[in-house]
Order: sequence, then C-alpha cells, then structure tokens
Amino acid sequence: MSRLVLVRREQAVSGGQPLAFLIGIVTALLIGILLLVISGHDPMAVYERMFDSSLGSPRSWSITLNRAVPLGLAGLAVAVAGSMGLWNIGAEGQILAGAIMAAWIARIGEGWPSPILITIMLLASILGGALLGLGPAVAKAQIGVNEIITTLMLNEVALRLLQWLIHGPWKDPESRGFPLAPILPDEARLPDLFERAHWGAVIALIVIALFGLVASRTAWGYELRVAGSSGETAKYAGISLKRKIMTVLVLSGGIAGLAGGIELSGNADRIVEGISAGYGFAGIIVAALALMRPSGVAAVALLFGAVQVGGLSIQTMGVSSSVSTILQALILFGAIGAGVFSKYSIKRVGKEQKSNAGGMA
Amino acid sequence: MNEASMIGLLTAAVSFGALLYLAALGELISEKAGNLNLGVEGMMAMGAVTGFMVALETENAWLALIVAMIVGALFALIHGLFTVVLGAEQVVSGLSLTILGIGMAAFVGKDAVGRPPGAVLAPVDWGALSDIPWVGPILFRQSPIVYFAVLLGVATSFVLTRTSTGLALRGAGESASTVDAAGHSVVKLRLGAVATGGAFAGASGAYLTLSLTPQWTEGVTAGRGWIAVALVIFGAWRPGRCAIGALLFGGLLALKTRLQTFGVDLSPILLSMIPYVLTIGVLIVISIRARNRPSSAPAALGQAYRREER
Repeated sequence: MSRLVLVRREQAVSGGQPLAFLIGIVTALLIGILLLVISGHDPMAVYERMFDSSLGSPRSWSITLNRAVPLGLAGLAVAVAGSMGLWNIGAEGQILAGAIMAAWIARIGEGWPSPILITIMLLASILGGALLGLGPAVAKAQIGVNEIITTLMLNEVALRLLQWLIHGPWKDPESRGFPLAPILPDEARLPDLFERAHWGAVIALIVIALFGLVASRTAWGYELRVAGSSGETAKYAGISLKRKIMTVLVLSGGIAGLAGGIELSGNADRIVEGISAGYGFAGIIVAALALMRPSGVAAVALLFGAVQVGGLSIQTMGVSSSVSTILQALILFGAIGAGVFSKYSIKRVGKEQKSNAGGMA
Repeated sequence: MNEASMIGLLTAAVSFGALLYLAALGELISEKAGNLNLGVEGMMAMGAVTGFMVALETENAWLALIVAMIVGALFALIHGLFTVVLGAEQVVSGLSLTILGIGMAAFVGKDAVGRPPGAVLAPVDWGALSDIPWVGPILFRQSPIVYFAVLLGVATSFVLTRTSTGLALRGAGESASTVDAAGHSVVKLRLGAVATGGAFAGASGAYLTLSLTPQWTEGVTAGRGWIAVALVIFGAWRPGRCAIGALLFGGLLALKTRLQTFGVDLSPILLSMIPYVLTIGVLIVISIRARNRPSSAPAALGQAYRREER
C-alpha cells in the first residue's frame, strides 16, 4: 500500500508566483464558465462585457483605476504588517476610520481652499486608520495579544461607529428622515486625472513605491525582514521587537486609513455605510497573492479592480454581480493551489517508508 | 417595561443565542484541532441559502436542514483542503472562504429573494411544559434547532473531554507532532474537525432561513459569523462558557430592536458594539494570564502541520 505526500522541492520553481497567479486566474475563469452555463447565461458574452467595461477603453480604465486605489492601499496595508509576519485583518475598519476622519474635516473645513482642505482630509484619514491600528499594536507589543482577533473585532466596532454617526449626529436635516450624511462640499473633491479617474491613483502609487523603496533599500526595511523571519535573530541583532511591532501595525492602519480618505474625497458624494465595498478584506487576498511584496500589490490590485468593475457591469445582463466576488475568491484558491506545487512536488511513498519516517519522530 | 415584553426579550435571547452557539461550537471544534477558520460567515451564508432553497423545492424543513449541514461541511472542506492538506495560510484561506460563500450564496439564491419559505421548522409544543409561566415561552416554545444546539453542545463537550477521539483532536491543536507520533493522523483529525465546524455553521445558517427570519435575502447572515468567531474566544474555547456567552450576545442582539420598549435611551447601534469590545477585553485578560500559566488558546492554533518539517 502506498500514499501520496507533499515533498519540498530543493529549489522553488522559478517564476513560480506569477505563474501560480496566472493559473489561479485561468482556474477561476473556467469554474466561472461552469457556473454561468449552469445558470443559463452565455459565458463568453458575460466575460466580454466584463472585459470591455473594465479594460476596453480609456474610460473603462479610469473606472478600474479608481477601484484599484483602495484595493492597492488596503493590500499594501496588509503587506506592511505581513512583511513582519503580522496579520492586519482590520484594514476594512481602518478604511472606515479614515473615511470618518476625512468626513469630519470636510464638515468643519467647509469653505477652506480646496488643496488645503483635501490635504488635511487625507492626513486626518491616515491618523484615523493609525489610531484604530494603535490599540492592537500596543496590545500585541506589550502583552502579546493576538492581533488577528483584535483587528478583526475592531472592523465591526468601526462599522458601528460609522452607522451611529450617520443615523445620529451627522444625519442631514434635509434628508427627510433618511439616515444620510450631508453631501460633501465641492472643495473636498479630489480633482480628476483623466476621464473618470481621480488623483488617488497617483497618491496610491507614490505610497506603494515609497514603501517598496524603504523596505528594500533601508536598514529599517532590512530589520523588518529580519524581525519577520526570526524573532530570536532580531533580538541578537539588537532590534527592538516591541517597537517594530508598534510601528508596523500603526503604519499599516494609517495606510488603510488613507484608502478611506481617498475613497471619500475621490469617489463618494457623501460618507455612507458602504463606503468600503469590502476593500479591506479583498486587500488581504491582494496581499497574499502578491506574496506581501509592494510591486505585486499594485499589479494584483489593478486586476482585482478590473474584475470588480466588470462584475458591476454584468448586472444589466441579468447576471448577479456576485460573479465577480466568486471569481476573486477562486483566483486566490487557484493561486494557492498552484503556489504550493511550485514549492512542493507530489511523491508516492510506500507503507514501509511511511512507518520509518514516523519512527524518526 | 411589562411582563410580556420581558418574556419576549428573553425568548429572543435564547433564539439568537442558539443561532450564535451553533456556529461558535463548530468554530470551537475546528480551533481545538488547531485550525482557525475565518470562513464562518461564508459557511453560514451557504447553509442559509441551501436550507432555504431545499425547503422551497421539497417543502421538507428537516431535509433542508440536513442538506444545509452537508453543504456546510463540504464547503468547509475547501478550507480544509488548502490549509490542512496543502498547508496554506489559515487566515487567508478562511477569509477567502467567507468571500466565496457570500458570493456563491448570492449567486445561487438570486431568484429566491423575497419568496415565502417552502417550509419552516415550527416551534415545538412541549404540552404542559410550554404552559409554565415565564419558563414555558422562553425555553419550551422554541424552534427544534434550539434544542438541537443544546444537544450538540453537550455532545461536543463530552466528546472533547471524555473520549479518545476528543483527546487526539485536542492534541492536534496543542502539539500535532506528539499526536502524530502516537499513531493518529493529524490530517484526518483536522479535516474532520473542519468539516464538523462547517456542518454546524451550515445548521446555524439554515436556522436563520428556516426559522428565525425565515426568508432568504442577500446578507441575511449580517455579520453573525464574526460574532461566532468572537464567541469562541469569549468562552475561552470551552463549550459551557460559550453557551453562557451565546445567551449574553444573543440577549444583546435581541435587545437591539427592543431598546425603545424598555425606555432605554441608548442607540441600538452602539449597543451592538458590545460583543466585540467585550471579546477584545476577554482576549487581553487571557493574554495577561497566559504569562504565568498555560494559555487557554490551543497552542498550535493557526499552524500548518507538515510531517517532514517538524
């Protein structure tokens, strides 16, 4: 009798991750075809519409770019924490916190010159996200509280804070009883870049590139990677783990917060409950697919932006927009599966060998 | 505040508590075996939609519940395949499962939105017991799933603490290599735990659409899966304490729509923050205590196990 086991390859297959990503996309599209056929749609027509609406013209590109901004920043936020082996599951809440802060500045700063107002709004959004990251950061650094759970819980807290503001203190008296915040003043709107795209894409790219440079070219970035790969080594090297954990989680929160500020200023008429369309959670998938690397984050975010925009466009064909949600998750599963096989190969082992291996424990 | 509204509140607390308890119990089993599955919300959504759809087709609520549990288990096994067999990151896989589940449920249930249920799991009539003042309506006029949840809680507690399977399962979550050396298959134990967790979450979802709501709409799970994840920590990974937590969190859910009845001048939205804040508090206490004595969290939680790499 024999069985199959995964054996680590001596060397990972080169170009493994881009290849795995590609396999993920193909797998997702194939399963998508299956789902569409079963539900009585023409898969090719659906995919064509998705492609045209997201990447088919300068106008579609501009819409996709806008969508990729929060995805890329949320992905970077997760990747920043991930580069040290920490999980920030709280990007969703931090985006909301950033949007709340930016909306607050827009409320008190009505009438200020637009560039000043927008700058302060974005800085405030960074502060908002960072503040929400601060709690888990302190708890993790000082007491060792699991950051996965604390950041996850704070998502729900931030969502309810926003709901409360919209239903209560920030409710527009002119909204006829509907729980709606007032429309943002014009001077709070991020200017346009081309077609529908706003300047958020430029800001996001700068932030992503900046972190990429700092992480790869500075001593700080090097220490970060050392601390991430081995806490013991870091201690010997005199790197303060506590301080690193604090900085990284707060920074991660700030970046996610910025996504919220840009989303509000660039894409929204007013702050609403759904200002983050799950960007924080999608950001985790983006970061995982990019193997926590900033350059990869930008590329994956663009693709996910296109999938999401495409998903919204097929609703007019009577297809549920959830197709895009399904595709995103399937891309990830496909890529994980393929990624595993770039590092491992399947070997058939006999019963004898197996019990030997067990005996060596 | 009058007697009727107080009874109404406590009845709803038990109903909501059972909903949270079912999902939390499943997550507890999975985590006890060392697997953190953040896909609860997605598995609940899948259970909710399949339960509702099967009831529409067959008008048999019990069959619907069973199918929902099977679908929940199979769906959880996707996470199991990637994390337990292929060793992928549990956090990423679990969250993707949530996203996939919410998406699939919306896709599958598109035409069922707003339709009246094909069958419901009607409250059980316990005869004389149901007529006892206070206790009757609160405890003995509930949906059968509530009693099912209690039964599963007792069974889970018994299996985990009194059987060799339970011992091995907990071992897989504490020190996988030890369990492996003792001749158990860590992969089988963990897959079993993940699948069981999925079945329980599926039952919880079906409870929503077959009894509590009972309707299918996109987003019917409304974040209850995350409360279930919180509940496991709040209950310090113990079925008994989780039950108490479930009643408390269920009570808060029930209170949310009734604040005005009780004349409490507090925003129901702020009230619904409490479970999450409490859970963070409990986690901090657990972490402080863990400095001096073994933590109540399973030691190997979140770690993939590969035999050749130990």
